[in-house]
Amino acid sequence: MLRGARESESAVNSKKNPSQGKRPVNLDLTSLQFPLPSLVSITHRISGIILFVGLIFLFWAFDVSLSSPAGFDAVKDAITGNALAKIVCWGLLSALGYHLVAGIRHLLMDIGYGESLEGGQRGSQLVIVISAVLVILSGVWVW
Amino acid sequence: MSTLQVSIYRYNPETDDAPYMQEFQVDTQGRDLMVLNVIQMIKEQDSTLAYRRSCREGVCGSDGVNMNGKNGLTCVTPISEVTKGNKLVLRPLPGLPVVRDLVVDMSMFYKQYERIQPYLQNDASEPAIERLQSPEDRDKLDGLYECILCACCSTSCPSFWWNPDKFVGPAGLLQAYRFLADSRDTATKERLSSLDDPFSVFRCRGIMNCVNVCPKGLNPTRAIGKIREMLLSNAT
Repeated sequence: MLRGARESESAVNSKKNPSQGKRPVNLDLTSLQFPLPSLVSITHRISGIILFVGLIFLFWAFDVSLSSPAGFDAVKDAITGNALAKIVCWGLLSALGYHLVAGIRHLLMDIGYGESLEGGQRGSQLVIVISAVLVILSGVWVW
Repeated sequence: MSTLQVSIYRYNPETDDAPYMQEFQVDTQGRDLMVLNVIQMIKEQDSTLAYRRSCREGVCGSDGVNMNGKNGLTCVTPISEVTKGNKLVLRPLPGLPVVRDLVVDMSMFYKQYERIQPYLQNDASEPAIERLQSPEDRDKLDGLYECILCACCSTSCPSFWWNPDKFVGPAGLLQAYRFLADSRDTATKERLSSLDDPFSVFRCRGIMNCVNVCPKGLNPTRAIGKIREMLLSNAT
């Protein structure tokens, strides 16, 4: 009896609101505006992933270079002569530079600097300028 | 050119399988109307459009909507502030289930607000007069108590989009700090321990979308920083 009552109640509920549970969610990221501090933050994460994956290759190259004099020469030739290896090196150094600068900004924010609306904007602009300089310098260093 | 091109997110659960965007033309007669005025003019063209509004002066917080990609209150946002090239795109607040058109289901948002116990707790016996507070202690609540719970901040926060059930969100945390900072509240320890896990507070990555959209100019990021400091000094 009780069960029957409950069942009919839930039937009424589901009739009253057929959409509940399959309601759409507006989360089309292309329709949203992302302010500079959020872009700086997501790039910090992406550069972290790039570093994580890239370090596998760096360690591998490091291992080869330490295995024998021939291995050392092979890695050295690749880094000084091969354009692709140079681009990879430059890319990893750029990711490192950016990740470092943006990470220091996060640490500063953790101790209370740059947490205002303007402070967040200015901090992000500073991260972009400083890391751009680092990216150019690392390019100069590699070539 | 006084015709405004408005694109609105439409979804009627009784007739639509999926949401879609509908185009409207509104004659603003060259006036810099509030977005709410524009919505009302569209409502005259199509009475099936559903949206929330009440006080129409930025006090009730019921008309939070995503305008050209940025959350805000339609009643206090002039079209000149959000339109790009005479085009206005209106979508419901991101991340919350859509009930119909621009109306979202705020249950998850309110649940997180309820969780932080947004009321004064004091275990001392009740005094004969009000519990007094020095002007300096009262000043600590400025920038915290003004929140109107419009949900613009929490629904602009990616951490809240991905974990609305575990991350309290900027609005809830701003209120959590409002009571942590109150000299009359004695439940500080309990409040902190209920927030001391990897998700409730620490999902905040400081990207400051909340500060960027708050229609009352409040700063949840700073309040979250203060809570983190309190958690840190409270830990042994």
